[in-house]
Amino acid sequence: MTANIENSFEPKIMAFVCTWCTYAGADLAGTSRMQYPANVRVLKFPCTGRIDPVFILKAFQQGADGVLISGCHPGDCHYIAGNFHARRRFAVFRKLLEFVGVDLNRLQFSWVSAAEGGKWVEVVTELTERIREMGPMTEFKELALTEQWSGMLESPELQEAYKQI
Amino acid sequence: MNQQISTTIYNDITDAVRKEAARILGDGTVTAVVGYTSTRRTGLTQPLVITDAKEADKLLFSETCVNNLAVYLTKAKKEIPKTGRIAIMVKGCDLKALVGLIGEAQLKREELYLIGLPCNGVLKSTTIPGTVLTVETIAPKCCECDVQTPVGCDFLPPCKPEQPELKAVYSAEIARLEAMSPRERWDYWQEQFSKCIKCYACRQVCPFCFCEQCLCDRNKPQMVETTPRPAGNFAWHIVRAMHLAGRCAGCAECERVCPMDIPLNLLNRKMAKELKELYDYEAGLEVNEKGPLASFNDKDDQSFIK
Repeated sequence: MTANIENSFEPKIMAFVCTWCTYAGADLAGTSRMQYPANVRVLKFPCTGRIDPVFILKAFQQGADGVLISGCHPGDCHYIAGNFHARRRFAVFRKLLEFVGVDLNRLQFSWVSAAEGGKWVEVVTELTERIREMGPMTEFKELALTEQWSGMLESPELQEAYKQI
Repeated sequence: MNQQISTTIYNDITDAVRKEAARILGDGTVTAVVGYTSTRRTGLTQPLVITDAKEADKLLFSETCVNNLAVYLTKAKKEIPKTGRIAIMVKGCDLKALVGLIGEAQLKREELYLIGLPCNGVLKSTTIPGTVLTVETIAPKCCECDVQTPVGCDFLPPCKPEQPELKAVYSAEIARLEAMSPRERWDYWQEQFSKCIKCYACRQVCPFCFCEQCLCDRNKPQMVETTPRPAGNFAWHIVRAMHLAGRCAGCAECERVCPMDIPLNLLNRKMAKELKELYDYEAGLEVNEKGPLASFNDKDDQSFIK
């Protein structure tokens, strides 16, 4: 068996899911013996409203190639309105990430109810395939690996000042 | 091109404010006045709190009054006596911050006495004393100002501000960045964020950063790396912009105090623009108990959610 370098990239996908809908939906997919890529690491939250945007940043910094956030359909929230708040927060957060130059194709939001095992499989498969094609997320890994002092330390002004000492 | 901006009304405002401060301190309407005074370096100003009517002559207003004094009224700052009504000198942009704080139940309107300041604009930087207010030296926030005359104040000097046509700096810069490719934007912001030394001056000066413990100071779990390295810098500026989204009214103090000249207000203005487009919300002079991210509508856009 020969390893094909080009296809050897396996994306790491972090899934933040709400315990009442999507976690149960993923569970249903499992108990129904549905097949879906094993690239997704599921992390359970009480509600999508509990998912702070900083978790997404943290996931990318710790090496995730893609992030999936999934919860109850609007109106189905166990806590009445958690997903409505989350919807606004993520709509705004997406715009912010876009503005600082993050590729939004790596970030997927979805509503998957407890009865939608099939939709969970579909969402995960699609995201995995998309990220497999895009390749690894390099930007955040570079950030985490770069050691540096302030970039300004090398400015011409400071160099000039240093020479005059 | 270096057109000068008239600052003659500032003298009239100074006189009116002094008279009013002496009156309200004298008759006991307020216990303290938060305002501006001159520094030992001629031509510059600094914040001042007075509690005695005799000190009212120390107050002044000029183009160097850059500070947003609203920050002194938040719980995070302890300089102000906590009893009685407090008077505060506010420019239009500072008033928006105060309105935001009232909306978030940090302040009570009846405990404030607002001394409004009609404003032609303030300086971008006060590091060089004697800088004249011109089209070039005016702060970028003043170029897009829509509250030159504050509204709803308890006292407002009867002066009419006048400003020449100014270029909208932030809108132009946001448009320029939006036209770039994602990779170019990433590189631009990395260059900016790499300058950050994590001094947190932007946080300390912000009227809306009044949390008793900042998320970024917590280490169990540590969500944001505290060292001034690229990963931590990026996370800090994103978290900051996100926490101010829908609250920041654009006093641009963060940008002014930044020792490394990172265009912080650009992120805040971008968020404000998005909230305007998405939810038709603008942080302004209207007291809202719930900001756009603390409320919701059944019909909010969810085209990005599968």
